Amino acid sequence: MEKPSTLLVHFDKGSAAMAGEIKADLEGSDVAAKVDAMKRAVMLLLNGETLPTLFITVVRYVLPSEDHTIQKLLLLYLEIIDKRDAAGRGLPEMILICQNLRNNLHHPNEYIRGVTLRFLCRLSEPEVLEPLVPSILENLDHRHHFIRRHALSAISSIYRLPHGDQLVPDAPELVERALASEQDASARRNAFLMLCTCAQERAVAYLLSNADRVAEWPDLLQMAAVDLIRKVCRSPNRADKGRYIKIIIALLSSPSTAVVYECAGALVSLSSAPTAVRAAANTYCELLSSQSDNNVKLIVLDRLNELRTSHRDVMVDVVMDVLRALASPNLDVKRKVLDLVLDLLTARNVEEVVLYLKKEVVKTQAGELEKSGEYRQMLVQAIHACAVEYPEVAGSVVHLLMDFLGDTNVAAAVDVVLFVREIIETNPKLRVSMIQRLIDTFYQIRASRVCSCALWILGEYSLSLSEVENAISTIKQCLGDVPFYTVSEEGEATDSAKPAQPVVNSVTVSSRRPVVLADGTYATQSAATEAISTPSVAPGSLSSTLNLRSLILSGDFFLAAVISCTLTKLVLRLEEVQPSMVEVNKACTGALLVMTSILQLGQSSYLPHPIDNDSYDRIVLCVRLLCNTGDDVRKVWLQSCRQSFAKMLAEKQFRETEEMKAKAQISHAQPDDLIDFYHLKSRRGMSQLELEDEVQDDLKAATGGFTKDAYDANRLNRILQLTGFSDPVYAEAYVTVHHYDIVLDVTIINRTKETLQNLCLELATMGDLKLVDRPQNYTLAPESSKQIRANIKVSSTETGVIFGNIVYETSNVMERSVVVLNDIHIDIMDYISPATCADVTFRNMWAEFEWENKVAVNTVIQNEKEFLDHIIKSTNMKCLTPPSALDGECGFLAANLYAKSVFGEDALVNISIEKQFDGKLSGYIRIRSKTQGIALSLGDKITLKQKGGS
Amino acid sequence: MVVLAASIISKSGKALVSRQFVDMSRIRIEGLLAAFPKLVGTGKQHTYVETENVRYVYQPIEGLYLLLITNKQSNILEDLDTLRLLSKLVPEYSPSLDEEGVCKTAFELIFAFDEAICLGNKENVTVQQVKQYCEMESHEEKAHKLMMQSKINETRDVMKKKASELDKMKMERGKLDKGGYSAISGPRVVEKAFGDMSITGSGFGSGSGLGGLSMDMDSFASKPKGRPSAAATAPGKGLGMKLGKTQKTNQFLESLKAEGEVILEDVQPSSVQSRVSPLPPSDPVTVTIEEKLNVTVKRDGGVNNFDVQGTLALQVLNDTDGFIQLQIENQDVPGLSFKTHPNINKDLFNSQQVVGAKDPNRPFPSGQNETPLVKWRIHGMDESSLPLSVNCWPSVSGNETYVNIEYEAAEMFDLHNVVISIPLPALREAPSVRQIDGEWRYDSRNSVLEWSILLIDQSNRSGSMEFVVPPADPSTFFPISIGFSASSTFSDLKVTGIRPLKDGNPPKYSQRARLVTANYQVV
Repeated sequence: MEKPSTLLVHFDKGSAAMAGEIKADLEGSDVAAKVDAMKRAVMLLLNGETLPTLFITVVRYVLPSEDHTIQKLLLLYLEIIDKRDAAGRGLPEMILICQNLRNNLHHPNEYIRGVTLRFLCRLSEPEVLEPLVPSILENLDHRHHFIRRHALSAISSIYRLPHGDQLVPDAPELVERALASEQDASARRNAFLMLCTCAQERAVAYLLSNADRVAEWPDLLQMAAVDLIRKVCRSPNRADKGRYIKIIIALLSSPSTAVVYECAGALVSLSSAPTAVRAAANTYCELLSSQSDNNVKLIVLDRLNELRTSHRDVMVDVVMDVLRALASPNLDVKRKVLDLVLDLLTARNVEEVVLYLKKEVVKTQAGELEKSGEYRQMLVQAIHACAVEYPEVAGSVVHLLMDFLGDTNVAAAVDVVLFVREIIETNPKLRVSMIQRLIDTFYQIRASRVCSCALWILGEYSLSLSEVENAISTIKQCLGDVPFYTVSEEGEATDSAKPAQPVVNSVTVSSRRPVVLADGTYATQSAATEAISTPSVAPGSLSSTLNLRSLILSGDFFLAAVISCTLTKLVLRLEEVQPSMVEVNKACTGALLVMTSILQLGQSSYLPHPIDNDSYDRIVLCVRLLCNTGDDVRKVWLQSCRQSFAKMLAEKQFRETEEMKAKAQISHAQPDDLIDFYHLKSRRGMSQLELEDEVQDDLKAATGGFTKDAYDANRLNRILQLTGFSDPVYAEAYVTVHHYDIVLDVTIINRTKETLQNLCLELATMGDLKLVDRPQNYTLAPESSKQIRANIKVSSTETGVIFGNIVYETSNVMERSVVVLNDIHIDIMDYISPATCADVTFRNMWAEFEWENKVAVNTVIQNEKEFLDHIIKSTNMKCLTPPSALDGECGFLAANLYAKSVFGEDALVNISIEKQFDGKLSGYIRIRSKTQGIALSLGDKITLKQKGGS
Repeated sequence: MVVLAASIISKSGKALVSRQFVDMSRIRIEGLLAAFPKLVGTGKQHTYVETENVRYVYQPIEGLYLLLITNKQSNILEDLDTLRLLSKLVPEYSPSLDEEGVCKTAFELIFAFDEAICLGNKENVTVQQVKQYCEMESHEEKAHKLMMQSKINETRDVMKKKASELDKMKMERGKLDKGGYSAISGPRVVEKAFGDMSITGSGFGSGSGLGGLSMDMDSFASKPKGRPSAAATAPGKGLGMKLGKTQKTNQFLESLKAEGEVILEDVQPSSVQSRVSPLPPSDPVTVTIEEKLNVTVKRDGGVNNFDVQGTLALQVLNDTDGFIQLQIENQDVPGLSFKTHPNINKDLFNSQQVVGAKDPNRPFPSGQNETPLVKWRIHGMDESSLPLSVNCWPSVSGNETYVNIEYEAAEMFDLHNVVISIPLPALREAPSVRQIDGEWRYDSRNSVLEWSILLIDQSNRSGSMEFVVPPADPSTFFPISIGFSASSTFSDLKVTGIRPLKDGNPPKYSQRARLVTANYQVV
């Protein structure tokens, strides 16, 4: 077991040479210098020096000091020195300090006594403690509470030592007596805790005999009581659970919120009865609304979330209380609340929830909150989710939401329009009113992405004559008068274009950066698409109604193509519903006029960029179609679009249900699980209690108590030979990589017939690695071996190299001999693990991260898919691109990979490959990360592994 | 609800100060602290981060983070309270809130953290209270000091009075006869006075008690003591004080022994004892007779304290041999008094000098342990009975101090493994020994010169040594401690025979007698 560390102090100026200075200062009589020297000594010790000679100096000169600070520092010093020898026996000289500690325990200064007692809590050497026990016990009756407090905790920790019950055999009785007469809150707590851990039945007796007064106890003691109750009730088949629950209920009205919080937790673990759970849930909800601290809110929400997974039926009732927490200004809290609530929806409460959300949406309009846009987006998404699950509520909200189509927050507006699109497809009843509404509010839409989506909806779902006509006229209105551009305007236009020029130029410059598209294709963006994603505000805001016109004039030809398609679609539909051919032809020519105007604009010199080829082709196609219609074409345009959209929705739904199923699968019972029979006595409470054991485990996990020793066969694979067989010293290392540290177990064998003295394993590191301990010197007998353990701290994901040498002396050669070791390379793969993230975040990170490493593909693998799999396997990353997008043989492949390191760093990889005519693959793998380390090391790794084939 | 650690780290991730409240390895805590800056996001409105195993609750303070590491089940409300308290404490103790300032006041911060969190549990304290705790101002201590001071003054007065009385007495005696008698009887009066005092002033011996623990320690522990010991304040008439002090030490020893402290026996690093450590006995019954010498001799002659404590211990290997009685005999020495184990038949012992159990059906305990049966004490012996006397004559000449030491051994005993340890002033190198009977060794760590003579018998009843050191005060060469062992004892107690209580032959027995020094000093 490694020595526990009790304090850390940053200190980088230390050297072993200071020891002499410290010694001199300690021997002097100047108190200030002594204090300083003690501090330096402690810091040196913390830095890994051993300073073995210092102990006797300390005993001689520091022990008798009267100064309080020196005494306290002395205790710190004693705390951190090695009190045991290599074999684990207590060092004999520790007895020397005994007398001093004893004196301190009788010191007239109560604080000296107190700190000494506190120090004893951290001491685990029975040899030292034993003679002190009578003095500690004497302190139990001291009149100063400071001393009693610490005496109680000292007794508690001594009693808990192995064989501690022999040191203080009557500790529980003593403590119980002390508890009965104690007044000080903290001392009572310590006494009670001692009984809880060492003599539970006494603690229980005390608790039960004071059950009526528990509510008046100080909060510290109440906390301890709750803790005890949790612990007691962990043992199965407690018939007297009721009594404890009664106490808990009493404590629920405690003025201390901490106690209340703890009680709620205990209540859930005590019983799975709906009443208890409901009480707990209500308590949490109260805390949620009464506490203003965001941390508390978030953690309480976590607790509620846990309750949701185990007791959903109860939680459903408190949904409205949870929703009230939306009043918090913190977005994280709001997000969590919404997530929680969405999981608790039932047919019964959905109306209420949606109503509340609607109110919140309205509030965001009025309030001048900073993040109202983002919040609105969250609300819209939440409502969207509600409506998908319970379509009947869609009608009540969709109209409200459609007001936000013209929202300045593009993301929110996009969400709204996507919501509308989905609802209009799934809820045919709402179609008429929604289309009407959309036509009415269309002119408010500012963002081109929202526009194009809204146009698609108009084109697709305007069915009746009046709708189609209205839609056409709305679009035309928004476009304004054609032509967009006349020769006469040229003069002014060039003028007005001039100031616009630099702006657009800057867009092109910034857009030179390659961008990964949603499907994983890796494209160099053109200015036009850039304009789509960034709402062009400058020219658009000039005219309020002519939103389409201003967007087109700003050079958004993609939108122009969408307009053309929509018009085409509407005209085709008009042909079906309009009996009068005259009207149809009129509309048709109107549409054609618009399209040609756009084309004309696109080819003029008015705009800095001419129309892009894609949009041009598309518009020309539309023109051709309108001039020359046919049934096939009509079918394609009027039906297939809708069908494929429906198919997409269906697939989305299917995927969601698949995911749900996959999730449900996890929670299925294991084959060897016990089965609860509903009609028999429920064991559910008990299994909950088993969960409680995790509380203990939790602490252990937190302190790093769980380090599983996997002595499997793989272990041998990780042995590295560090020196040659013919070297005088043979060394090999076994490397274990934990989360934040690397442990090298080095076996050193003396191959000579001489004793090697002062043998030292000196290690140095490259990369973000740091040695924890200083190397020690050893003496190695002829042909004997030694195990040395070295800890290395890792602080970021990076390929690290550990190198070093073994230095030793022999008796006949005067100077030290050196054996250089092989380098140890730490593999980055040990640190990254596959992870997932949303497309949007991936792209945001991609744009944000500074380090890119571009690796040209060079491989013998002929198949794109196979190559991708190979890379995924060798880099331990996850492919974010859905498998459906990777299906089929087309000679191209683009995919995004993602992984996260244990330090929370993100690693992004994009693979874009193409099959050449000769069957070889070519392309690039790009790695991006926030830090250079990952980008470089991952790149090296890929370069090394990509060849494949072998 | 446990706080694992309270730490302050810089924004760049350097752990400046950290105090752990539960056992965790260094690598673990360093790892946790190193991971924290990476986990902390920017622009968040909450100040906690959870990882798989722990929760960090933090608060930025200028360029630093104040950080609590807790387990995930920890009560967040309590932890926030604690954090709030700590965040108030940090500026109190570290005036400049940057890396350097915190490093400078690291220990003060650790002390303050200790007051705010007790073994990972929250304490209900205020900033004011923590400050008070850390200042450690205690009325009781002040009162105690005052009391001590007045007591010392008082004693000094008494001492002066006694001393003048003594002088007067001496003068009167001198007129009557010129015997060395007064040298012994004089201090005894004083001794009594000090015995009284040391009982009332219980805290007085706290510093000097160390000397009682080990002889080795005593030689240097008495030197650096800043305590205004009475001996230092009144060097001329300090004999009485000195006496009182050793007396006190012994009393302390006694009282510790009475409390059943075994530890004291272990501590005595008496080199003599360890060298003659007996082989495990092979006879079924072994009787060990041991006498311990507690002697303090004044450097100018005269005995401060001369006390012999003896034990007769019995070791019986087998249960069956436990039903025995021991016939003992001893020389009649004045001042010898016996004490028997409560289970020993006292009448039998007093009348016939037979050691036997009160209850004849109960055997003596058997096993590897020795059972002390009889203890005795000889006190009030005079200087002439001293087995070994040492004279030390430091003399300063020019830049050097010549120290001449001679010993003289009494005829009664042959002394084994004699070690005479002379404390020296702190030297850079070993003193140069000009002449020596025996061997010497210099222990530079404790700056003690050890003069060892393997055996003192008829051939070398006296011997001397001379060494040279840089100039030093003559008093630095005292107290000289002496260790030796001998195979005969003062009381000359012997077991003359073993009688079995039951039928059968008396078991074979062996007896071993020895005299060792417990505390033999020239002061």
